[in-house]
Amino acid sequence: MTAAETTPEQSGTTVAVRPPRLPLSEYLRVGALLVASMAAAIGCAALLLSVTGSSPATVFRAMVTGSVGSRVALTATLNHAGPILLVALGALVATRSGLLNIGQEGQISIGALFGVAVGLAVQAPRGITLLLIGATAAAAGALWASLASVLRFTRGGSEVITTLLLNFVGFQVVSFAVNRPWLLQEDLPEGSILSASPQSNPLPPAGHLPTLAQGPGFRLNSGITVAVGLALVLAFLLARTRWGFELRTVGLNPRAARRSGVSPARVGSGALALSGALAGLAGGVLLSGTAFRVNDGFSNNYGWEGLLAALVAGSVTLAVIPSSLLFGALRAGSGVLAATGVSPTIVGAVQALVVIAVTLPLLYLNRRRLRALVQRTGVSRT
Amino acid sequence: MIDNITLIVDSSVRIAATLLFAALGELVAERAGTLNISVEGAMLSSAFAAAYGSHATGSAYYGFLIGVAVGIVVSLVQANLSHRIRINQFVTGLVLNLLAIGVTSFLLAEVKMAPVQFGLVRIPGLASIPIIGDALFEQRAPFFLLYGLVPLVWWVLKRSRWGLELNAVGENPTAADANGIPVDVRRRQAIYFGGLLAGISGAYLSVGLIGAFTPNMTALRGFIAIAAVIFGGWTLSGTVAGTLLFGGAEALRVSLPALGVTITPQVLIALPYLAAIAAIAVLSQRRRQPAALGQTFGRGIS
Amino acid sequence: MSEAKASTSAAGPEVVLGLRSVSKRFGRVVACDDVSLNVRAGEIRGLLGQNGAGKSTLMKIVAGFVRPEAGEIRIRGETLGFGDPVIAAERGIAMVHQHFSLVGPMPVWKNVTLSDRGHKKVDRTGTSRQIREIGQRYGLDVDPDAIVDDLAVGERQRVELLKCLRRQPDILILDEPTSVLTREESTALFGVLRRLARERGQSVVLISHELEEMLEVTDRVTVLRDGRVVSTVESAEASPDSLAQEMLGHDVTVPAEVLGLTLDEPGKAAGVPGSLPARSGVPSGHRAAVLELSDITVASAVGHKLLDGVSLDVGEGEILGVAGVAGNGQEELTGLLSNLIRPDGGEVRVEGRTIQTGRGRQLSRAGVGVIPADRHDSGCVLEMSVAENIALGSLDGMVRWGVVQQQKLHQLTQRLVGDFRIITSSLSAPLRSLSGGNQQRVVLARELARRPCVLVAAEPTQGLDIGARGYIWDRLREAAAGGTGILLLSSDLAEIMALSHRVAVINRGRIVSTMARADVDLAELGRMMGARTHDRR
Repeated sequence: MTAAETTPEQSGTTVAVRPPRLPLSEYLRVGALLVASMAAAIGCAALLLSVTGSSPATVFRAMVTGSVGSRVALTATLNHAGPILLVALGALVATRSGLLNIGQEGQISIGALFGVAVGLAVQAPRGITLLLIGATAAAAGALWASLASVLRFTRGGSEVITTLLLNFVGFQVVSFAVNRPWLLQEDLPEGSILSASPQSNPLPPAGHLPTLAQGPGFRLNSGITVAVGLALVLAFLLARTRWGFELRTVGLNPRAARRSGVSPARVGSGALALSGALAGLAGGVLLSGTAFRVNDGFSNNYGWEGLLAALVAGSVTLAVIPSSLLFGALRAGSGVLAATGVSPTIVGAVQALVVIAVTLPLLYLNRRRLRALVQRTGVSRT
Repeated sequence: MIDNITLIVDSSVRIAATLLFAALGELVAERAGTLNISVEGAMLSSAFAAAYGSHATGSAYYGFLIGVAVGIVVSLVQANLSHRIRINQFVTGLVLNLLAIGVTSFLLAEVKMAPVQFGLVRIPGLASIPIIGDALFEQRAPFFLLYGLVPLVWWVLKRSRWGLELNAVGENPTAADANGIPVDVRRRQAIYFGGLLAGISGAYLSVGLIGAFTPNMTALRGFIAIAAVIFGGWTLSGTVAGTLLFGGAEALRVSLPALGVTITPQVLIALPYLAAIAAIAVLSQRRRQPAALGQTFGRGIS
Repeated sequence: MSEAKASTSAAGPEVVLGLRSVSKRFGRVVACDDVSLNVRAGEIRGLLGQNGAGKSTLMKIVAGFVRPEAGEIRIRGETLGFGDPVIAAERGIAMVHQHFSLVGPMPVWKNVTLSDRGHKKVDRTGTSRQIREIGQRYGLDVDPDAIVDDLAVGERQRVELLKCLRRQPDILILDEPTSVLTREESTALFGVLRRLARERGQSVVLISHELEEMLEVTDRVTVLRDGRVVSTVESAEASPDSLAQEMLGHDVTVPAEVLGLTLDEPGKAAGVPGSLPARSGVPSGHRAAVLELSDITVASAVGHKLLDGVSLDVGEGEILGVAGVAGNGQEELTGLLSNLIRPDGGEVRVEGRTIQTGRGRQLSRAGVGVIPADRHDSGCVLEMSVAENIALGSLDGMVRWGVVQQQKLHQLTQRLVGDFRIITSSLSAPLRSLSGGNQQRVVLARELARRPCVLVAAEPTQGLDIGARGYIWDRLREAAAGGTGILLLSSDLAEIMALSHRVAVINRGRIVSTMARADVDLAELGRMMGARTHDRR
């Protein structure tokens, strides 16, 4: 920011004011607010637990041990965080272009469905098989999300509603496929009874993601590295490239974008497609990393958790990495809750509370920052 | 054959009623320029609260009232987050929906309950009309609220000062502001009204229609209600027609297999959602939406 | 008329509205500086001043829309609280805004009843009857059932006025009411105002910057300059010349030709020192046309022709001023050249090449720059930094392998911030944190930095103070001298006359006349701007 500090000598009558900074006390206040609102969120969850006769302390201890307490737990956290991060990145891209994609659950399912179809059909070395699964899953997710773009940009239908409705259609497409022997339904030995929840055949080993670490009871797959790598790439693309610049312009002022020759429909539908592609890829990573087959209810809330992770990250792209790890940890922690006799569904409530707890103080910080700026340089009369 | 038709009409109307309660509230909220997606969360929370309330009090009526109250509480949170401190209204709604799913699923797993269901009420005479008699005049008690609510919403939108101001706020908030109408206050009130009706809808679903609570039992009905408002071109009659259409789609899903018609179950389950998407595709541009729908209003920076 | 005035002053000078030492600033800009003012019952008071003199702000303070920092307002001797429009309305203050406060898709009667506060019933028949009654009494004829969107600008203003009159206000404030009206409509409006004051004893405050109409209708005129009251004079004793002097002051940077403007003396304008004799003399025929519009037609969704066969051309280095009352197609013309509108017919050519507008990058690649009238609409992105707003216009030279070269962008921004004297806390400060004038400078800097072959400048100095205005005018002249063809769209005749080589007049979506600057007859120009060239619809 040093370049910004022009001196009057350099630039005629320009008044140089130091770059805007809030006093430290403001940041401390926001920090305190963040701690307080997190405490309030945890308090709400504790209240919920106490009311239903569980011990909050036991639950929180179980959550911590279950998410970071052992190598098994850490592996679970990271394996969950990978797909969550991918979904969050996609959600972020859409949000930057001014669109809210909430159809990740469906996009994950459709991505995984086509991924498993390809993975079962090809017989190739691991590298190629994985590449094909990933590419197909991403393409399928992108196409599924693009249905909403078509409605948005040719018919004016809100993408918030259409992406959501498409989730339920997507689930039925998956269900249809795994219930048809001539499609993807599992081949069962002659005479055996169909399982209650139909599923596809498992992927051959060539379709499994490479293992990063392995031990008794755990296997860390490389999904998290793929996701973190893509996060870094995407953060660079958004901040530094023409594409990222145009995307943000469209998101903030579509008319100004059009004036400078950028088509909001083109950029927006591209963003929604990329958003769907990342969710589809998350489906592919889930498939090749941990699940190895597709069944009814495959997406299992990964879509929602990724979306929430993106909301927590807000305007800071790379903040999706820690926030996805947090949501991965919550998910891993919920896995061991059943052993304590408490329903793991409490985690769903905690996740939503975390989003509220993080969003409010940041909103406050942004407003203070803007106000400080305005006081420094005069008011914009809008 | 007549019996079958009667059956389908009856179940269409019953399902449509759930949608219509929520859609009436959403219609009012959207006329004021808010697109309130937490209607889903409000329905789900109130469905649970009504079920639990009826179990705790032993009365379907008290349960119903408790459910409605919870619906209003959800809308209070939504309105004050989105139209007081101005967090994006979709984000607010989304988080509330997820919170509602999380809390209700958790409570359901932890709490044992036996909800009390409203009994059937039959209006003598009218209920004997062929085909539509059962559907319109023999239903669970809260259903009959519709006979008051539909005219009430008509009156609110067409005749009342409050409705006039809501319309102004939804069409041109700047002009409304210049006329001294407090824009955000009216929008919050419209959301409260939406919460009241979403509460009725959810409570009717659990202690009226079904008589039980199941995890995520609203299954996006709140969004189908929003789609019905869009389908109806933001008019009252269109909204009623939209809920009947979507109710009919779901009724077919339930009743066709019972009638021996074999259609792929997945297609049937997806039918209401596909119908809603089709409605948006066909109708969202042909009808005029409130000009300021989904936009925040501010006189300047705050 | 003079008798009428005499009778009001004889009726006793009861002060209805009294302002004492009212002050208001926006950031560093002082809008009102220690203003005191007394308006009597039955008086028509004019508030005269340049753009940015503080007239509108002062009256918005009275009507409760703006909260002042200091001062006192008294209504019939009793103090009025600040910043509450509802209370102000209850105390008998009604204001007709420059921008109408009507809801377009609603019928007239609903709009009229909309301003009834409290729990009053929505009464269609009663309201309609009232509209007709008041309409008859004052000659404000409006159909209560007509949809506002279908009404012409003049009719909409009648609705605004009806809304105010219905509440029988003691003090009626009108903010630039004639800027959108034709001559006849203005005359009719003045008739209504006189009837109000004489027959009902209501007080009227009329905000305007037009001298002629001020003297025509008011009893007394208060002149504001830079937020201060310069003087208050009896209209009967004032002359346009003296008022103009008061309004502009003596140390103004605005070309003196402005003085001649509203005085109905066309000959004078050209002769005043400070005008551009050299340029106005250059015949446009010798210049190569950089922008040509031929037969451009743009229709609204319901089929009204917003631009109706517009043809014009701008030569290299030429400033073509398009004069017109706001709302006569200027917005569509800017939208067309901002890539926001696709025309229903006609052709746009830039440097001889036909350009598709409304799609893709053709227009901006061809070198067409735009300073839109509302910069917040398409001119800038408030949440983005100053540097990013600069990049909005000229990324082409700064991208390598798809990556924006930050260094180049910062150098350019730094240079422009210096050259255009943009006051900002840093290059990465969001544009929202800048004052309006500085935001406008950012837009201007960006558009000029591209060295466009065509620059569309729509109301480039609207809402700016005199210093900023002079500065922007100089920059536009400089750009033209450098070869840029400028299409200047302005409702401000002073601006048109100060800058243009040729002047075109736009009226109801048509170019009704084009003439060299030297041939401009101001009276004739005003008439063409206001004339009804053809029937509505």
